[in-house]
Amino acid sequence: MALPFPLSDLLVILPELILSELALGILLWAAVVKRERERALAWASLASLAIAAALLPVAASFAGELPRSAFGGMIALDGFSLFFKALTLLAAAVTILFSLRFVGTSPYPGGEYYALLLLTTVGMMFMASGTHLVSIYVALELMALSQYVLAGYFKQETKSVEAAAKYFVLGAFSSGVLLYGLSLVYGATGTLSLGGVSAALEAAPRSTLLMVGVVLVACGMLFKVASAPFHVWAPDVYEGAPTPVSAFFAVGPKLAAYAIFARIFFDGFGPRSDDWAPVLAASAALTMVVGNVGALMQTNVKRLLGYSSIGHAGYALLGLLAYRAGGAAGQPEAFGLWAILFYLTAYLLMTFGAFGLVVLLEAKGYATESVDDFNGLWKRNPLAAGAMVVFLLSLAGIPPTAGFVGKYLLFSAALKAGWPALVVLGVLMSAVSLFYYFRIVRAMYLVDGEGEVRWREEPAVAVAVGLCFAGTLAFGVLPQPLIALAKSCLLP
Amino acid sequence: MIVAVLSTFAVAALAPLLEKRLGRRAAPLLALVPAGLFVSLARHVPEVSAGGARTDALGWIAELGVSLSFRLDGLSLLMALVVTGVGAVVLLYAGSYMEGHPRRGNLLGYLLAFLAAMLGLVLSDNLVGLFVFWEATSLLSYVLIGFEREKAEVRASALQALLVTGGGGLALLAGFVLLGQAGGSLEIGALAANAEAVKASPLYLPALLLVLLGAFTKSAQVPFHFWLPDAMAAPAPVSTFLHSATMVKAGVFLLARLHPTLGGTPEWTGIVTTVGAATMLTGALLAVGQRDLKRLLAYSTVSALGSLVMLVGVGTPAALAAAMVLLLAHALYKGALFLVAGIVDHETGTRDVASLGGLFRALPVTAVAAAAAAFSMAGLPPLLGFVSKELLYDAALRASPAPLLLVPVAVGSNMLLVAVALSVGWGPFTGRAGETPKAPHEAPAAMWAGPLLLGLGSLAAGLFSGAISPFVSSAAAAALGAPHALTLELWHGFNLVLAKSLATLVVGVALFAARGRIRSLAGSLAPLAAFGPGRLYRAGLAGLVRLAKGTAALLSSGSLRQDLRIVLAATVALAAPLLLTRAVLGAPDALRSVRPLEAVLALLVVAGAVATLLAGSRLAAVVALGVTGFGVALLFLVFGAPDLAMTQFAVETLSVLLFVAVLRRLPRLQSRSAPRARVVDALLAGAVGAVMTGLVLAVHAEPLRSSLAPFFRESSLALAKGRNVVNVILVDFRGLDTLGEITVLGVAALGVWSLVRLRIASRGAGANGGRS
Repeated sequence: MALPFPLSDLLVILPELILSELALGILLWAAVVKRERERALAWASLASLAIAAALLPVAASFAGELPRSAFGGMIALDGFSLFFKALTLLAAAVTILFSLRFVGTSPYPGGEYYALLLLTTVGMMFMASGTHLVSIYVALELMALSQYVLAGYFKQETKSVEAAAKYFVLGAFSSGVLLYGLSLVYGATGTLSLGGVSAALEAAPRSTLLMVGVVLVACGMLFKVASAPFHVWAPDVYEGAPTPVSAFFAVGPKLAAYAIFARIFFDGFGPRSDDWAPVLAASAALTMVVGNVGALMQTNVKRLLGYSSIGHAGYALLGLLAYRAGGAAGQPEAFGLWAILFYLTAYLLMTFGAFGLVVLLEAKGYATESVDDFNGLWKRNPLAAGAMVVFLLSLAGIPPTAGFVGKYLLFSAALKAGWPALVVLGVLMSAVSLFYYFRIVRAMYLVDGEGEVRWREEPAVAVAVGLCFAGTLAFGVLPQPLIALAKSCLLP
Repeated sequence: MIVAVLSTFAVAALAPLLEKRLGRRAAPLLALVPAGLFVSLARHVPEVSAGGARTDALGWIAELGVSLSFRLDGLSLLMALVVTGVGAVVLLYAGSYMEGHPRRGNLLGYLLAFLAAMLGLVLSDNLVGLFVFWEATSLLSYVLIGFEREKAEVRASALQALLVTGGGGLALLAGFVLLGQAGGSLEIGALAANAEAVKASPLYLPALLLVLLGAFTKSAQVPFHFWLPDAMAAPAPVSTFLHSATMVKAGVFLLARLHPTLGGTPEWTGIVTTVGAATMLTGALLAVGQRDLKRLLAYSTVSALGSLVMLVGVGTPAALAAAMVLLLAHALYKGALFLVAGIVDHETGTRDVASLGGLFRALPVTAVAAAAAAFSMAGLPPLLGFVSKELLYDAALRASPAPLLLVPVAVGSNMLLVAVALSVGWGPFTGRAGETPKAPHEAPAAMWAGPLLLGLGSLAAGLFSGAISPFVSSAAAAALGAPHALTLELWHGFNLVLAKSLATLVVGVALFAARGRIRSLAGSLAPLAAFGPGRLYRAGLAGLVRLAKGTAALLSSGSLRQDLRIVLAATVALAAPLLLTRAVLGAPDALRSVRPLEAVLALLVVAGAVATLLAGSRLAAVVALGVTGFGVALLFLVFGAPDLAMTQFAVETLSVLLFVAVLRRLPRLQSRSAPRARVVDALLAGAVGAVMTGLVLAVHAEPLRSSLAPFFRESSLALAKGRNVVNVILVDFRGLDTLGEITVLGVAALGVWSLVRLRIASRGAGANGGRS
């Protein structure tokens, strides 16, 4: 029987294929491995991620000239997708390092945990490559379904189960809205491939159906990146889920969601940007306000970081709004897009860094994780306290950190694209964010006495945090190489 | 220059270690760093005075023209000399002042880091680089003001200073970005060259306002002046360094730096001059009523900063030259007075001017330094303060817009400041000895050396004011953006300006003599202070907290119901406006073709839905829901899709059975939620229903462009030899998919089976604690 696609297309998705196999292998292995030997599973998962990462350039070289489209236009391999795949692999690897002791000392078996994490990663990688609304949706659901299970992984903990249940109900609803929107787009354009949609939009007159479809797709996407008013799940889920999982949720799936957000809206709905830009702008403004103001009163660090990541979603939306800024007519330079790529990399580093220190802080699976737990950390562990200051400065957007450069790029792009009001709001909200980030700094340095929760030294976490620390500073002081890389990885 | 700034940061990081190792010898050693910088900077004075400038650059974000570029011209050299000179004195002083303090090393490190940041700020030629150092000074000032962190009010005033200056800094960044947009560059030099384009740009006014906001907060201008007196909670060396000589001057420096780019417009002159004059008067008025030495000085600093801002606002060559001289004179005398206040506090244990007196006997050297500084501040010849005051009056007289307004303000403020100067530098040392908590002794040399040096500096600069003229002129020229030559002289002959100076002195001394009465008057007015801008700041802070609590409760209650409401409402709100027109227009068309049978079935569906809502038990609700489902299936049948109807029947039956099986195990329906909540839910549900109806109507009105339906219809007989299209799709076209679905179902069944077995096994294990 003749295949409907050339066999070489399989090489394009080689990293994803191998990673899926390895994930399933780990799942099988988990069924027979003894509880005390489970750490081997973690190392095997890390190795799987490393293999997948090593296969990225292999796939790229087999694919020939990039961008390479495969499976009848369902999947594409280009610089953009490679950038996001590398980031998601990094995110998964850091999460595993965070999880080693955490899963090891919890009463729940670790095999499924690592397998689910790897499968989520596969979903994210396919998302980065999807150029067809159906392939994107399926990849998104692969990621989301694994996420629901991960959120409720501590199935005897009420908070964890509650988080998973909420996430599932709201997530399923938003998936429904997204799917409904996709079907309307299909109904109006007669095609599901992004290129086809774009061409149809270019040709077709404005139609209500199409606009509703685009708006519903936007609603679904805003949910996935936790933008207001579709952010409501984020604080609860981050607080309830096991901390390494929260860290992962705050970074990995969001990165992948931004990848498809950018692809659907630029490649697919680009010709109709006048229709969707106001929706995104309103959401960006609301998100920045809600995230930053909401974080002010939080006493739980995970919740605080959850709100702060909502605020950051708002900043990143500015980049989406400004995607074509800076280019001459007909020659899009996509300033906003590479600003987002830079920003998301910085966001990964600083968010993981901050969460990593929360992981270290936990005595066991469910400590209180209150801001007070950081009290006097400066005395107990000056290195950790110093690293936390750098992460918080970066999150607040203060130089010389990667967070500052990223925010600066985003705001400049938005300004160039003609959204000065949003930029002013963003700067104002950055000022507000100083309040709550500074509360942690104050707890670490200025409050006497020590937090009640014990501080754990954990080499694996320390390595991961050290990596984030180095990256946050390095890309803040010398942003040029990363900017160059991001620029070379734009959407075609 | 870059190397100098960065290596100073490095030394700052090592300072605590050095202090641990060397103890009291560390401070003099560390003071050598700024002293060395001072000397090496001073070597450039002749070159810069002749109009030369040095630049130095390091690329950072090349794409956006952001680089770390430094520029040494008259203005930056003047500021850099003040920063390093006062810095050296302060470090030396701090080592002795903080003797025995467990965290002395940290203070020295912070001071040195602050010095480096300040140096970076004044040398920067790039707006973003300048902003970076600007925020660094704000952050370090937080640490420095809050150094005695055990006291709550110290922490509060440190936070207040950070929020006001740091927040202003962010406004500044926004202004810089707009400025870069308007002028096409972020380099200050390039912007100045392009000043006409900047001023013509529509972004000029917003950029100007944001930049001014940043500068005014930093330099404690009205109405942001309240943070500076509160920041007096800092140790004396910190107040000297930050609040007289350097940080608060950053705003003035920035205004002078950007004057060639932004200045000269009516907006600039109007706003900057007005705010400066208002600050000058407010600071002086508030100063005379104070009893605390440091608060006296703080308010007089506010007044001096107001004069500086006003002069930059006026912007004439004479005014800018006066500003430069005043900047230097103020750094010298106010730095000395702050250090003296620290010594007095240190030696007597009190800062209350009412209880201080006759200290000359105990502290002779300090008294000499204090007198020199106070006389300079009061504007007595032949000190530099006299020269600067003459220039100030002269510039105010010649200000183009409103000399009639500026001159009385300037003269009046200075009369008050004379009284303040004497209260600080004369009163405590003369007259009868007061009751003090500690018996005073002369301070160690490391402490009095600083004020003495600065006091003598005032004298020397005044006597040899001709010699420093070229250098001050070059600073004024940099602020002006054009060459300017000015000759400073002590004696201008008998003229209007001298008359004003004399009047100032006479009235000032009279005010000083009446200080007791003024203070008691001010004391009776004290409750009015509660209505100042400080109150606004506190109200704003409290409001922010309330807003945060409110939004947190509204937007993330932690309740799934509330979360769903928000998500649903947002979706409806976004989709409804698009649909509204279409639904209204499309409805009559769609309704005309409805047959009676369809209407009956539709009513059945609606009735099922309503019954679900009203049902008293879960079982009844499930059955009612089943009615809805079967009604839909019947509709399918009516519309000629028997296969679809059969599928729907099967699914509906199965789901009702499953529901019943599950719900059987749940408790009875408990109390319903509050009527108000139910009304909200009903409205929301209605809105969602309306949107869905509208959508269906919209879909109906739209020509569908599907390529799949015709394909399957045509090919099902030709390719798969089947007439039932749905069946052909399932078993042939999508055969592999069907196989996959069957496999999934099989695996799921296996999973269920193993779960059931596990359940039985764990029941067998019973009380032994097996996990299920």
